[in-house]
Amino acid sequence: MFNIVKSRFTEKKSINKTKQWMLTLCLATASLVSSASSHREAPLISNDPLCDNTDLYAFRSPDDPNTVTIIANYIPFESPEGGPNYYTFGSNIRYEIHIKNKTSTTTDDITYRFTFSQINEDASTFFNIRLAKQNIKTTYICEKSVNGGAFTTVVTNGVVPPANIGPRSIESTPVGLNTTYGALMTNAITTATGGEKVFCGPVDDPFFVDLAGAFDLGAFRPEGNTTNATKDGLSRFNCHSIALKIPINLLQKDGKTAAQAANILDGDFVIGVWASASRQQIKTLGANGSVSYSGAWTQVSRLGMPLTNEAIIPVGMKDKWNATTPANDLQFAKYFTNPELALYMDDTQFGGAVPALNALRIQNHSLGAYDFRNGKAGLYSLKGSGAVKGTALDEAAFGGVLLPDAKSPRAVDILPIFYTGVPNLAPYQLATGKTGGPLSAGKPFINNFLPTLGDMLRLNMAVPPTPRNDAKFSSLGIVNAAVLGLTDAAYNTNTSIQFIPNMDGFPNGRRLEDDVTTIELQAVGGVALAAIGLWYDDYKLDGSSPVTTNLVNVLSFSAGPTKNDTTFKTAFPYVQTPWRGYDYTQKARF
Amino acid sequence: MKQYFKKITALLLCTTTLGFSAMASSHREAPLISNDPLADNTDLYAFKSPTDAEKIILIANYIPFEHPAGGPNWYTFGENIRYEIHIDNNTSTSGDDIIYRFTFTNTNEDGTTFFNIRLGKQNVKTTYTCERSVNGGTSFTAIVTNGVVPPNNIGPRSIESGVGLGATDYNSLMTAAIATSTTGEKVFCGPIDDPFFVDLGGAFDAGGFRTAGARDGVAKFNCHTIAIEVPVATLQKTGKTVAQAANILDGEYVIGVYANASRPAITTLSAAGDKPATSGAWAQVSRLGMPLTNEAVIAIGDKDKWNSVAPSADGQFVPYFKNPELALYMDDSQFGGAVPGLAKLRIQKASLGAFDFRNGKPGLFPLKGNPALDGTALSEANFGSILLPDNQSPRAVDILPAFYTGVPNLRPYQLATGKPTGNPLAAGKPFINNFLPTLGDYLRLNMAVPATPRNSADFSPLGIVQAAVLGLTDARYTTSGTALQFIPNMDGFPNGRRLEDDVTTIELQAVGGVVLAAIGLWYDDYVLGGSPVTPQLLNTITFKEGVGKNDTTFKPAFPFVQTPWRGYTGAGYTGPKSNTFNLGVGATPIALTAFPSPFKASTTFHYKLTTDASNVKIDITDAIGRKIATIDEGSKSKGDYYVQFTKANLAAGAYYAKMYADGLKSSTVGIIKIN
Repeated sequence: MFNIVKSRFTEKKSINKTKQWMLTLCLATASLVSSASSHREAPLISNDPLCDNTDLYAFRSPDDPNTVTIIANYIPFESPEGGPNYYTFGSNIRYEIHIKNKTSTTTDDITYRFTFSQINEDASTFFNIRLAKQNIKTTYICEKSVNGGAFTTVVTNGVVPPANIGPRSIESTPVGLNTTYGALMTNAITTATGGEKVFCGPVDDPFFVDLAGAFDLGAFRPEGNTTNATKDGLSRFNCHSIALKIPINLLQKDGKTAAQAANILDGDFVIGVWASASRQQIKTLGANGSVSYSGAWTQVSRLGMPLTNEAIIPVGMKDKWNATTPANDLQFAKYFTNPELALYMDDTQFGGAVPALNALRIQNHSLGAYDFRNGKAGLYSLKGSGAVKGTALDEAAFGGVLLPDAKSPRAVDILPIFYTGVPNLAPYQLATGKTGGPLSAGKPFINNFLPTLGDMLRLNMAVPPTPRNDAKFSSLGIVNAAVLGLTDAAYNTNTSIQFIPNMDGFPNGRRLEDDVTTIELQAVGGVALAAIGLWYDDYKLDGSSPVTTNLVNVLSFSAGPTKNDTTFKTAFPYVQTPWRGYDYTQKARF
Repeated sequence: MKQYFKKITALLLCTTTLGFSAMASSHREAPLISNDPLADNTDLYAFKSPTDAEKIILIANYIPFEHPAGGPNWYTFGENIRYEIHIDNNTSTSGDDIIYRFTFTNTNEDGTTFFNIRLGKQNVKTTYTCERSVNGGTSFTAIVTNGVVPPNNIGPRSIESGVGLGATDYNSLMTAAIATSTTGEKVFCGPIDDPFFVDLGGAFDAGGFRTAGARDGVAKFNCHTIAIEVPVATLQKTGKTVAQAANILDGEYVIGVYANASRPAITTLSAAGDKPATSGAWAQVSRLGMPLTNEAVIAIGDKDKWNSVAPSADGQFVPYFKNPELALYMDDSQFGGAVPGLAKLRIQKASLGAFDFRNGKPGLFPLKGNPALDGTALSEANFGSILLPDNQSPRAVDILPAFYTGVPNLRPYQLATGKPTGNPLAAGKPFINNFLPTLGDYLRLNMAVPATPRNSADFSPLGIVQAAVLGLTDARYTTSGTALQFIPNMDGFPNGRRLEDDVTTIELQAVGGVVLAAIGLWYDDYVLGGSPVTPQLLNTITFKEGVGKNDTTFKPAFPFVQTPWRGYTGAGYTGPKSNTFNLGVGATPIALTAFPSPFKASTTFHYKLTTDASNVKIDITDAIGRKIATIDEGSKSKGDYYVQFTKANLAAGAYYAKMYADGLKSSTVGIIKIN
């Protein structure tokens, strides 16, 4: 596989060895070892479930590749039978999806704003649905602003389906609504005046994570381990989705369609997405159980990259993070340049205290020289040197951000993944084809570079979707694309731009299937560094295989469940029908 | 008649106490409070301590549906909320006679981590103050300060291990958190297993109650409890002990209890994400006296209002009790046919051939003013104006007093035992007296009633309904006729509420007319002179809402509620060991680094000695181990040193440096020469 690689560190290798590495990697990726994306992730928002933005997804629609689907979920841990007042979107809340498509401005280029209202059709009962009447019946309007312009209404009288209570409430007549839940969901899909498809309603929470393990001080339980079966802490819970399927030309900064892209990594097709919820600043409790709201709108929850506020921002800063817009994220950069999670993958810190993460050990001696552990120099010794000339690390390029000082080792990988996206520039290309060490040109695998210096989910819309039934489809997203690009003969023979399956996966956007917990833990464990040729410590400088025990351990790691507790729909809104309260199949959650 | 009662007893003993079918007591019961979980009062219990006849246990639970693994920010009591338990013991005083107020504070011991507990430090650590007022809320005195709320039961790493709190076990934290107040109460505040049980999925699917497949919708969820053990003498209006009670139904020993949560009227969010600012008067946002009132009696249009008012303002909600919505589903002329789950419950429409208790019907109103009522609670001289207000309020005679006044030990509210056939108004066997006519929703408990031992064969979650069944059918209680005696479960709901009581079933049976039947207003299929144990009565008392009991046990001692479910159980997984490169920090007192690397002309070694050394040198070797240079530093005292390395004509490539000092050696440092 590396027969094209002529790195001075990896010159001698045989075909036999190559095959061995491939085998090892294939095995490694077969069995994999997770935190909730942003469920109850900060003290204040954890007590305001209606506003709690739990997950954000952005991906090329697999069945309609001329569109991108964006899904923002809210309200964690909805018990399917959680009546008599089932959760629904709150009134007096602005739910918003923000999109950046250019760096020439600092404010949103496109904003979708959803506002909901509720009515009781029969206030004389304590039931939610009775005799074809529905209480707390929710409708919405969707407004859109482009380039900071005025908001115009693009959906009026949007319908939020009721909670999937049970057969008596939904199907029966005359007691219930005399319909099917599927019909309610389908009928709630509407088309905005601009052509976007829109759905707002309860869904199965698509996220999956071993909450119990992750937050008992990192007691992760990999899927398939024989010590202690992993548990999806979100299984059988519902949440509320805002889903949009948007033609790419409405998102691309110059109105281009995907067909007009120069190539599949065309940098002009990168968007940055984040979602939020805002409340008016002043809430006043009145007589007889009334409530009124006034004052300026204040952001109380936001979400771009998964797990940022869950597992990167420390508890003392979490509430502030939720109140801040990405344009002001630089104040949090230190949590990315030296992430807390890295302490648990470093034997000189707390590595020894978190045995479940043994498989992840950050390079402290990559290529015999580079130490990426927290507080160490990382690649800083290269700053300003001829070695980085022409690369992204060059002072003339982004050296100021990526190599800020001698104590910010992860400014070179974790920070750009969350704050700028990763450019298709050396060194951010796969080791495949690198003839001059990690800093030289290699095989392109990602370009979601939109250097706004803030936390957003960045997607290059030019990258084609991987069919969900493709044998190479993987929940490991870009990590799997990297593995294929390094080891699969279909992709590792040259440095030309070529579609590698899962290049459309996290962190290039985020698909519903993507196991972001595992991917992010692997990333903190240095896997992106390894992919570009900054191999693990046990790599021998004599040119033997870079597929070392450490790399195999990292690629074999999984954080817990690797997939959702149910399937996804094959068409918009892709998220699955909510669990039915009366008789959903039960499954242990902890 | 006795033989029929024997039959019913046998049947009950076999069925009622076994498997039962369920509604959450007050979990997410109103639109507004359902979105404010911290202030959502889910259940209230008040019962005679099974371990001490002179003690009453008050338990107010808050925060529904807490996922045991719901991190990283587990639920705990909120700041800027007043959690209160109110006790009325005297109808001659206005307002509450005793109020316990709890306020909580949360602090972060280590704001630099996203974990809740790490290295002995706990974030969002909660402490509290308990204040007590004995003058109707005019003034409060702190009786517990620095009360400790145990952390959430996250898992063994967080609780027991050295990287966590290093506790013996979770129960030791719970036990240590039990405080004794300056006035003698025992107090516990903390996370627990939610003791309630109900088939939420069935109940709220338009009354889809089921006997098969019923599931406890609050199983394996935790909540937060405020539990107080109070001496009876503290609660009794004149300070008497139980030993001083005239009898086990002494009316001087009735207390009415409700709990609530209040927030300041104005909350102002911080644009910077700081804690919100609060101001203004305190406004009640949640309250709970009798279980299920706001869940299944008050209609959705009034639920938020109900939560905001005090029981003293409950007069406005009386219509919901006189003609309860649930009764519509037990009445074939209304929606009875549409709710098969309640088919066993059919309200009397021709009791004793005359009385119709269906919604909108007269009930006992035809008797109003009749001399036959003289001396009964229904007489105008007593409470006729409340109990028989008009000819369209049939349940003012049973459901309303159960919720609003308590039930007096007066005719007709005595068991049919000892009453002449067909005369419910005659004196019968006493079974309840929790009468405290404040005309508001309270959980009323007669503290003079002894506790039924939890291990007694007679103990039943059906509370007073079971006491009535025993009083009507069990020879131990029927042979003494109308004499007052302790019947097991007289200490159960609705005379107070024990943790075990299946209040959902009891209330549905009550709406179904079981109390009316118990006092001799038999079901429609009773034939005068025949057995009152008719198929319809059997249907009612064998009706079960579904679940029947909690998903775990209760503790035998205070706070009685059970340890919270643990988020993580089982052994810890250990991952495969990865190789690390000569880490050894701490093991070796010398350390070497090089900067820059790669280098063109020169690189600088930085080395650190934590001890004095006499033979310090750095060897540089090439990739195959040949020494290409040595830097001799001689003797050095401990400290940091920098030495530049330059070598002419050194070929590009990888080299290794290692430092030696006396017998010590550093880890190997790779350096890269480029051209």
